Amino acid sequence: MATRTNKRKTEEAGAIPVSKRDPELLRRMYRMMVLTRAVEDRMVAMYRGGDLLGSLYTGHWHEAISVGAAATLRADDYMAPLHRNAGAHLWRGMEAWQIMASFMGKATSPTGGRDGTLHYGRLDLGSYNPPSHIPANFPVATGMAFAAKYRGEDRVALAFCGDGSTSRADFHESLTIASVQKLPNVFVIENNQWAYSTPLSLQSSSETFAIKAVAYGIPGVKVDGIDVLAVYDTVAQAVARARAGDGPSLIEAVTMRMHGHAEHDPADYVPRAMYDEWSEKDPVERFENVLLEAGVIDADTAKQVREEARQHAIAARRKALADPMPDPSNIEEGVYAD
Amino acid sequence: MATDDGQVTYLEAVALALDAEMERDPDVFIIGEDVGQFGGAFKVTKGFLEKFGARRVVDTPIAETGFTGLAAGAALVGLRPVVEYQFADFISCAFDPIINVLARHHWRTGDAMPVTLRAPFGARLRAGPTHSQSVESYFAHVPGLKIVMPGTPEDAAGLLVSSIRDNNPTLYLENKYLYRRLRVAGPISLEPIPLGVANVVREGRDVSLITYSAGVSQGLEVADELDRDGISVEVVDVRTLVPLDVETIVNSVRKTSRAVVLHEAAKRLGYGAEIAATIQEEAFWHLDQPVVRIAAKNTPTPTSPALEDAVVPQRAQVAETLRKVVRA
Repeated sequence: MATRTNKRKTEEAGAIPVSKRDPELLRRMYRMMVLTRAVEDRMVAMYRGGDLLGSLYTGHWHEAISVGAAATLRADDYMAPLHRNAGAHLWRGMEAWQIMASFMGKATSPTGGRDGTLHYGRLDLGSYNPPSHIPANFPVATGMAFAAKYRGEDRVALAFCGDGSTSRADFHESLTIASVQKLPNVFVIENNQWAYSTPLSLQSSSETFAIKAVAYGIPGVKVDGIDVLAVYDTVAQAVARARAGDGPSLIEAVTMRMHGHAEHDPADYVPRAMYDEWSEKDPVERFENVLLEAGVIDADTAKQVREEARQHAIAARRKALADPMPDPSNIEEGVYAD
Repeated sequence: MATDDGQVTYLEAVALALDAEMERDPDVFIIGEDVGQFGGAFKVTKGFLEKFGARRVVDTPIAETGFTGLAAGAALVGLRPVVEYQFADFISCAFDPIINVLARHHWRTGDAMPVTLRAPFGARLRAGPTHSQSVESYFAHVPGLKIVMPGTPEDAAGLLVSSIRDNNPTLYLENKYLYRRLRVAGPISLEPIPLGVANVVREGRDVSLITYSAGVSQGLEVADELDRDGISVEVVDVRTLVPLDVETIVNSVRKTSRAVVLHEAAKRLGYGAEIAATIQEEAFWHLDQPVVRIAAKNTPTPTSPALEDAVVPQRAQVAETLRKVVRA
């Protein structure tokens, strides 16, 4: 099965024009991307101000991938995220204050402070809470997809990993099993060009990551990861394919990690030219401009959405700060389920 | 499913319990390498594919990390996977999903993780350093896993039923040397045997032999031998390492005042160290002798019979050690 490059811009021929899309969905995607940016910007300030326990992992320039991919899912679908997917979590109903509480070890975090920082998945929202080392979430996503198929349900499981994850055994084993079992999986590689300090040239000799799909006999598509509508269209197609029982797909969404691996990391190893190039390609601004040009929103709405997001993030911080720390007296409970 | 003479082997007991649980609960499925059309490397799942179909008897690529993580995901959303590793030696390929995904998920999130990990383990089959390992201690250190090590066909059945019904990741280690060597009159009970309850398989006065898995039948043979010399050995089968039935062990040691721990895993940080330490914490003032451990030498398991027998605890060594402890 051939892979293809899907770098088309949404305004180009072949893509569904913005005017033909559901404006409510477009506005919701926009609001979620703006909210994601506002929440993560606020958390960067919290990191600098000493509010957080340890480091902070953000998804700047990943907003289009997170929101665009999550927006293709039904509420009863499954998701196995990585640590740059705050936007996907917010899309599925996670509260901003819960994400902050997780980075603060608060009792109100999704794990009650037992785990923390970037580990804040919620199974009640269909989202797996992964361990630190991605893609350990990939095999779990195959299991969620397996369960759906086992029960004759048409749910799908969407999993995210980074460019560095593609080197690990669990990436290969998951794609192998998902392809031979024709599991309803969609695997998204968020290629942000850096795995901590390791550049792509030291990660893989493959021409692209999408092309790895050829080895599994499944579709592989490379897409512009700052174009939320291109991400949405590409993932939606893969989701439809999975839902129809035609098996998994691999998607490589290209972006740039605009912060360090985490906020403690000044990322001196990143060439300045890369930042200069990519700072021109802000996915949130880009989508805002698309919607403004198409008349889906006007300048006042954009301003209002941004201010609401800012206020939302400020309120979330206040709540997370006020929330209690966990009670250590029950720490030995729950090692085992009843 | 029984031998021609109506007896049930240890291996058949495992198969009977798995079959019964798959019949009882449609959410139970078996997944692993060659478990389907081949019936498993040791034939535990012989006939399962024909009976339950490929949906519930899932042959996998050689991908232990992959299918272990798959089991975790399936369990999270309500299924009850049973994973077969062809040899326990290969479970190291799945160490990461077992430790980091399965074992700590409930404590982190409150979501149940009902996965049974079945693995044939152990020595005495001349299978060498990477087909003979006892892996229990690698995992016993990890909070969140249960570890089940049956030593009889009856326990193999009843403990597997409980493992599958348990809402935690459970490592169920089958002693492959016992597979076709231990047999009991059938039919056997498929009632669950609770995890965490040790079994005093032979009562005695002079010394407590605390053991599990192949150590149980070996210990009973030695106890018979010593009985003829007037030495009364109490044999305690702990059955499950996690949870460990400390009370039964301690009660036995308080009665006999002497304790010997036996397993075929290597001695250094083998599970016997945990049992010995527990005994000294809980029953030190009842002891007439230091607790003695009988275990394999701290070497890999060799292949050639003369070499393997020099490493893995032999009957004569167990008998001699018990005599020494009782006489001292």
